[in-house]
Amino acid sequence: MRVTQSMLAANSLRHLSKSYSNMQKYQDQLATGKKINRPSDDPVVAIKGMFYRTNLTEVEQYKRNLNEAYQWMESSEQGIEHATQVTQRIRELLVDGQNGTKSPEDLKAIAVEIGQLKEDLAGVANTQVAGRYIFNGTKTDGKPVTVNDDGTLTFDQNTEAFNVEVSKGVQLKVNVNPTNVFGEDFFNTIQSIEDALNSGDMSNGDQLLGDLDNHFDVMSAERSEIGARYNRLEMIDSRIQDQEIIANRILSENEDADLERVITDLTIQESIHRASLAVGSKVIQPTLIDFLR
Amino acid sequence: MTSTFFGLEIAKRGMFTQQSALSTTAHNVANANTPGYTRQRVNFVQTEPYPPVSKNSPTIPGQLGTGVEAGTVERVREGFLDIQYRSENNKLGYWENRANALEKMEEIMNEPSDTGLSITMDRFWQSLQDLALDPTNAGARSVVRERGVAVAETFNYLATSLKSIQGDLKNELDVSVKQINSLAAQINNINKQISEIEPNGYLPNDLYDERDRLIDQLSSLANVKVSNTKSGGNALDIAEGSVTIEIVDDNGKSLGTLVDGKQKRTNQLSVGYNAQSGLVESVAIGLKEVNVLDFNSTGKISSLIDSYGYTYQSNSTVFEKGLYPDMLGKLDTMAFEFAKQFNQTHSEGWSIEDYNSNTHTPVDFFDFGGTQLTDSKGAASLLSVSQDIINSTDHIAAAYPDSSGAVTIGNSANAIRLAEVKNSTFRIGGETTNFQNYYEGIIGEMAVNSQEATRLTTNSQTLRDSVDGRRQSVSAVSLDEEMTNMIQFQHAYNAAARMITMQDEILDRIINGLGVSGR
Repeated sequence: MRVTQSMLAANSLRHLSKSYSNMQKYQDQLATGKKINRPSDDPVVAIKGMFYRTNLTEVEQYKRNLNEAYQWMESSEQGIEHATQVTQRIRELLVDGQNGTKSPEDLKAIAVEIGQLKEDLAGVANTQVAGRYIFNGTKTDGKPVTVNDDGTLTFDQNTEAFNVEVSKGVQLKVNVNPTNVFGEDFFNTIQSIEDALNSGDMSNGDQLLGDLDNHFDVMSAERSEIGARYNRLEMIDSRIQDQEIIANRILSENEDADLERVITDLTIQESIHRASLAVGSKVIQPTLIDFLR
Repeated sequence: MTSTFFGLEIAKRGMFTQQSALSTTAHNVANANTPGYTRQRVNFVQTEPYPPVSKNSPTIPGQLGTGVEAGTVERVREGFLDIQYRSENNKLGYWENRANALEKMEEIMNEPSDTGLSITMDRFWQSLQDLALDPTNAGARSVVRERGVAVAETFNYLATSLKSIQGDLKNELDVSVKQINSLAAQINNINKQISEIEPNGYLPNDLYDERDRLIDQLSSLANVKVSNTKSGGNALDIAEGSVTIEIVDDNGKSLGTLVDGKQKRTNQLSVGYNAQSGLVESVAIGLKEVNVLDFNSTGKISSLIDSYGYTYQSNSTVFEKGLYPDMLGKLDTMAFEFAKQFNQTHSEGWSIEDYNSNTHTPVDFFDFGGTQLTDSKGAASLLSVSQDIINSTDHIAAAYPDSSGAVTIGNSANAIRLAEVKNSTFRIGGETTNFQNYYEGIIGEMAVNSQEATRLTTNSQTLRDSVDGRRQSVSAVSLDEEMTNMIQFQHAYNAAARMITMQDEILDRIINGLGVSGR
């Protein structure tokens, strides 16, 4: 084949520009840390990249939702625990009042304490988290129990479940049924106890004690239930955390450049480039003219 | 018997001819770096021998050679390689432009990234999840509104940017059409010059070079077929004549004559745009109009038409096709369907406003800037968050009636339903899919197209360069070769000169040395 000077020059230029474009590719990968910089570099990686990103965003969001769920459940549990203690105290006072040795004045004094405990319970029922009443179902803007000026109580309780989405399609109830903890019956029983103590007639004391115990059982059951749900929440939490790690890893495996390899490739490419520059400098060879007299 | 000065004449012819070969060598060396230059060579021919065969010719033993003359000065070129080069250059013109158009599209879509439509939709989903956690929180509501605005604006941005690139493509198309017409006019001028020179028995090599260079340029713009028409008169057999250039489709069928070598005139190429959509409708060469669907000829022009978009009617349905119209159409479909489905779910929910007034008024979350769209066309550029929502975030319907039909303010079931719209399955653009997957599909298709265009660009470039290499191998000037020729011609010239000296000595003997016997 006849080889001319212009062919040598054109080939040398073409190879140099090819070598530059390879170096550019590796430098882009190094600078961005990504295998691909545009979808056409690898359509499959690009599509997966979009999908994994969405996945990661979702997992992060569910983590945020979990925090909210923890806050609700912990506050609810604390409220019930407090209510349990107060109920126990009322029970002690009632048992004490049933003791026949108490004078009517003593009983009245007990009634005053029970009245205070009742208002305390109403306060717990009106617990707010971030401005929302947590013991009122989804009616978070209204007090479930209102203490009137004359000491009587008004009830406006909503029993809807407040659900939080904790993973795709899975919703977890994070509140308790307020009627099981701070129900109207419960307050009525306390009111009856207070009334009985005030009147000094403790003849229905045993029945009141029985009612109180019943409420106490319901309250305990609710508390166990929230405990069980709390356990489930913790399990979901640990799963979400695993998922986050996996999602991050998959995202990284999918599109992050393998730096060692890119650096090696770049170094190889650089030496190739040096070689082609060296070869390029030889393109302008002496011609026959240089040897003619 | 030959004449006394016969040998002198042969030597003189030798000197003249070698000198013309040396001039041609000088011309080659001088043009070694001229683009499109084809090396030339002098075709040496022997002159008529003596005596010629004729009635009164003298009878001598055998015929004597009478020397050499420069027959023609010819280009060393392989026409077949030109055809190959133009065919590859033509494909390169097509794929290179397609790859460019797609590259710009990829830059606009900007996926996968932390700023594209996909992530904006994800953030919107996130804000709805946050709203579900705290439906009465004004902050969470504002975030939903602002992220909704971001989704709408991202759609708007994508649509307007794509349209702006589409506009650039139209300009490029117009410029390329002008370029074709200008090249055709130049080729026609050269045709005229050539047809004036050739009948005189000359080979206008440098004009041929210029013409071939122009045809090479033309071949990247459109698929051309070149045929030659002989010039009349005293034209040589190897004269190339005038060229006729036709634009042909992929099957080699002529779509029209751009340069008419016989009539020495050109036909203007023009592109016809649809009055309504502004897309390409037809391509005309002179008076011959071709429907855009029949203009399936590769090259830059048709690549630009493909990218910019074209329109045609079939069974009284108007179709709009092309890379940019397709992408815009898909974004429109997605924006339209998303707004529709989201509004549907949104209007089923109860807002704070509804809760306060205890009446359910369905409110749209998205609208199209006050325009009522009947189909998806233009949806992506018009999508916006409705004025109701902009006016008050209390219009965001986060609550959904519970099993008893009652609505409470802390209920956030509809917020979760709204968040789910992105991942729920609908009929979108004739496919049963969800928005996430639909968008991934759009990006995937674009990526594969772009990858293909880039790959074929590299392929056709490699092929073209390889053909060009072969062409250079045949036609380019090799300085070594020219120097070798120079030495060869110079020595022949010197030898011819020496022959004259020798003749001089012979004549000297005859004139001065004879007739003095016994002196």
